[in-house]
Amino acid sequence: MSLEDPTSPEADPEPVGVTEDGLDYDALEDLLGDLAIGRESHINAEAFVVRPGDVEEALVTLRDEAGFDHCSCLTAQEYEDRFESIYHLRKYDEPTQEVGVVVPAARENPVSQSANGAFRTADWHEREAYDLVGVEYEDHPDLRRILLPETWQGHPLRQDYDQEQPQVVPLREHANPLKDDHRGIDNSDTMFLNIGPHHPATHGVLHLKAVLDGEVVADVDPDIGYLHRCEEQLCQQGNYRHQIMPYPDRWDYISAGILNEWCYARAAEDLADLEVPEYAQVLRTMSAEMCRIAAHMLAAGTFALDVYGDFTAIFMYAMQDREKMMNLLEDLTGQRLMFNYLRLGGVAWDLPEPREEFFEKTRDLLDDLPERLEEYHNLITSNEIFQMRCIDTGVLEPEAAKSYGATGPVARGSGIDYDLRRDDPYGYYPELDWDVITEDGCDNYARVLVRLQEVEESAKIIKQCVDLLEDWPEEERTIQSNVPRTLKPEPDTEIYRTVEAAKGELGIYIRSDGTSKPARFKIRSPCFSNLQTLPEMSEGEYIPDLIASLGSLDIVLGEVDR
Amino acid sequence: MSASLPTVTLQSGTPLPDSIRSLLGLPDGPVFEFIAAVIASSVIAAALLGLVAVSGIWGKRKITAAFTDRIAVNRHGPFGLLIIVADAVRLLSKELIVPDGVDRPAWDIAPIVMAGSALLGFAVIPMGNGLQIADPEVGLAYVFAVASIASVGLVMAGYSSNNKYSLLGGLRAVAQNLAYEIPLIITAASVVIFAGTLRMSGIVGAQAETLVSVAGIGIPSWYAFVNPFAFVLFMAANLAEVGRNPFDIPEAPTEIVAGWQTEYSSVYFVLCYLSEFIHIFLGGAIIATVFLGGPAGPVLPGVVWFVIKMVAVYLFTQWARSAVPRVRIDQLIEIGWKGMLVLSFANLVLTAVIVGLTV
Repeated sequence: MSLEDPTSPEADPEPVGVTEDGLDYDALEDLLGDLAIGRESHINAEAFVVRPGDVEEALVTLRDEAGFDHCSCLTAQEYEDRFESIYHLRKYDEPTQEVGVVVPAARENPVSQSANGAFRTADWHEREAYDLVGVEYEDHPDLRRILLPETWQGHPLRQDYDQEQPQVVPLREHANPLKDDHRGIDNSDTMFLNIGPHHPATHGVLHLKAVLDGEVVADVDPDIGYLHRCEEQLCQQGNYRHQIMPYPDRWDYISAGILNEWCYARAAEDLADLEVPEYAQVLRTMSAEMCRIAAHMLAAGTFALDVYGDFTAIFMYAMQDREKMMNLLEDLTGQRLMFNYLRLGGVAWDLPEPREEFFEKTRDLLDDLPERLEEYHNLITSNEIFQMRCIDTGVLEPEAAKSYGATGPVARGSGIDYDLRRDDPYGYYPELDWDVITEDGCDNYARVLVRLQEVEESAKIIKQCVDLLEDWPEEERTIQSNVPRTLKPEPDTEIYRTVEAAKGELGIYIRSDGTSKPARFKIRSPCFSNLQTLPEMSEGEYIPDLIASLGSLDIVLGEVDR
Repeated sequence: MSASLPTVTLQSGTPLPDSIRSLLGLPDGPVFEFIAAVIASSVIAAALLGLVAVSGIWGKRKITAAFTDRIAVNRHGPFGLLIIVADAVRLLSKELIVPDGVDRPAWDIAPIVMAGSALLGFAVIPMGNGLQIADPEVGLAYVFAVASIASVGLVMAGYSSNNKYSLLGGLRAVAQNLAYEIPLIITAASVVIFAGTLRMSGIVGAQAETLVSVAGIGIPSWYAFVNPFAFVLFMAANLAEVGRNPFDIPEAPTEIVAGWQTEYSSVYFVLCYLSEFIHIFLGGAIIATVFLGGPAGPVLPGVVWFVIKMVAVYLFTQWARSAVPRVRIDQLIEIGWKGMLVLSFANLVLTAVIVGLTV
């Protein structure tokens, strides 16, 4: 077995199972040999059933021999007779090549082996699965609750969970978790510092448990869950057709709403086999890129805020440019933040009348953009102090980034050429002319550069969409295909679909049970995985670098905690 | 316009307390001298507080807004000026929250020490039109001495607040002030070599001559023109001294919340805030006196010119605050000890050589 050589996943020149037409799952099954005890068919990929004790071995085999180096998500769920953990694997080089690893666990005592040895990102994902579903992972280094308080009774996504049950917590355990500040420890050279949950630089309610050695961060442990709103369960209670679509707006609520909506639209449309008219695809592409610009503007502005320290010029400039984008989106969708614009099989409505006015406004904005970006580059990226602060700080090596499942600008800032808009095409992206931006710096500076350049690329996309929309024949402007009033996908179909959201790979897993509501709705948040890299980036660096690194990750706690 | 400035109003030769004494017709004697000194100090302090109120509460909002493309206060009276009243009432009527376990006397005294030290410095600044409380022979040394007392206040505040962010801020403040006061003083010393005196009025007087005449307009021999290198060094070190970007790390709002002043609220916060602004103005006053000819300037009375120069330095700090990122603590120390200190000594030695050769 290749357990001895986990550092070079691409040692094998030709990964097993790759043919000219894509993946040969039979070859993968042969590769796993005795490890695979069964095979399931999901809409997005085949999945192999693996015994609870063989998880790590199976994942390492797939990673090293077959090149599945990206553990995108872990979904845990409960069936009548068993619990199940599904590891959704894919490749950074070729994300359309996917495979699932299904690990059943006993109904009474759900225990399965942890995947930590294969992918470091499994750490948090397994903690979440344990927290919400109650599957226990053996050999997990730190299997604590992650989203709910440590004193929580029961696992909320279990079928027998009683929502009415009062959470009775003894006073002793209810003690303020922030109170214990390690001051009593004698002979300690370090200082324990709570950064957050209320702190100017945590971008929301994030709590970092930091241990400082002087000004140097010796250890940092992000504590999340303060903004957990049971989004997965809320989505499981809504019907496919209309009731789920408003929720994605509330995950990454920093004006990235349509990007998130698209993820649900993509998953549900593939699940129910719905077509989307081409005209609607162009509208989706345009509006999604507008969201991306707005989100990246805020990211650049708040990152500058973290490095500059006050509400400085660059922050306000970025807010202004975001504001202009939001005005456009308001014209288009009627909303400034919670757009609720996409529908299954199309979009809610066509461009606002008069169309020329909308086109003109959009073009004006895009024409001004290069000048604005020039100013950003003058103000931040070419400032020597800014470079001093950001270059070679918060370093995230590509290998670590992959192991943590980092995606989006964070991965692209580490030189990983991975963008689902190009690699796993959807919408109208394949027809348009644009580039994927990567930077090899692996540091805070590279991540800022990636975001600023991506704004330019998004502007290119919007421009092309506007041209297309302007010339679109009036009789062919179909914004919505025929969709049954009540969607009831086939029972026991499973799908995992991802899109490139503002922060990275946003994924949704849906299992249907033949009703109009999903039986399991799992969200793969890019921020959740990206935030996991923070200790890797900031341990051994100074507090200001920790803050800068956190800012460069561009997390939104609404999406981390869901 | 020429450099033949109204030197009469520059240095009347009589300190403000004496003028007040003669104005009120008070006889000689220690008691009356003391009364006159108290009145003089009150006048100066009140004027300063007015300046801080306008620039700190209203001006700062307007200036920052101008830098960041906003409008800022415009609904409270003309140009939003009544915000000063509103803010004063708001700040003074807030509850003073004393956190658990603060080191009481030190925590209470710290804001006073900081505000007081900055105010003390103004005692020897010649502000023109006879507005100078005292003119000791060691004026410049005295200014730096009292201004550095503020560091003690910072440490007191940081250490006694029983808050780790305050502690970090306090320690950063000490490290920063150590690293930057030495270059600051050494650079000022190079001016002393030119002027040949530490007396503030003497330094101002030495800058009254015309340096060169260009097309009939005389350029005065302000030390900013005579030794621009020292001026730039001093401006940079002064930013660190008053703790503004890129050297605002003792407060560093996004890193350590508000540094040493995290736990201060209400009146104590006002004192902290006030002391910061007075400190900036003291920095401006020193720069105006040492490098910009003090109250010298055409047409307008000297004191107006002096205020203009002080406010110009204040604007400079606000500009830096809006546009320049903050350096990291280790980079700051490095710039201070490896860069500024070396440069300031080089400047001192060069100046000494040049002055020695030309005299």
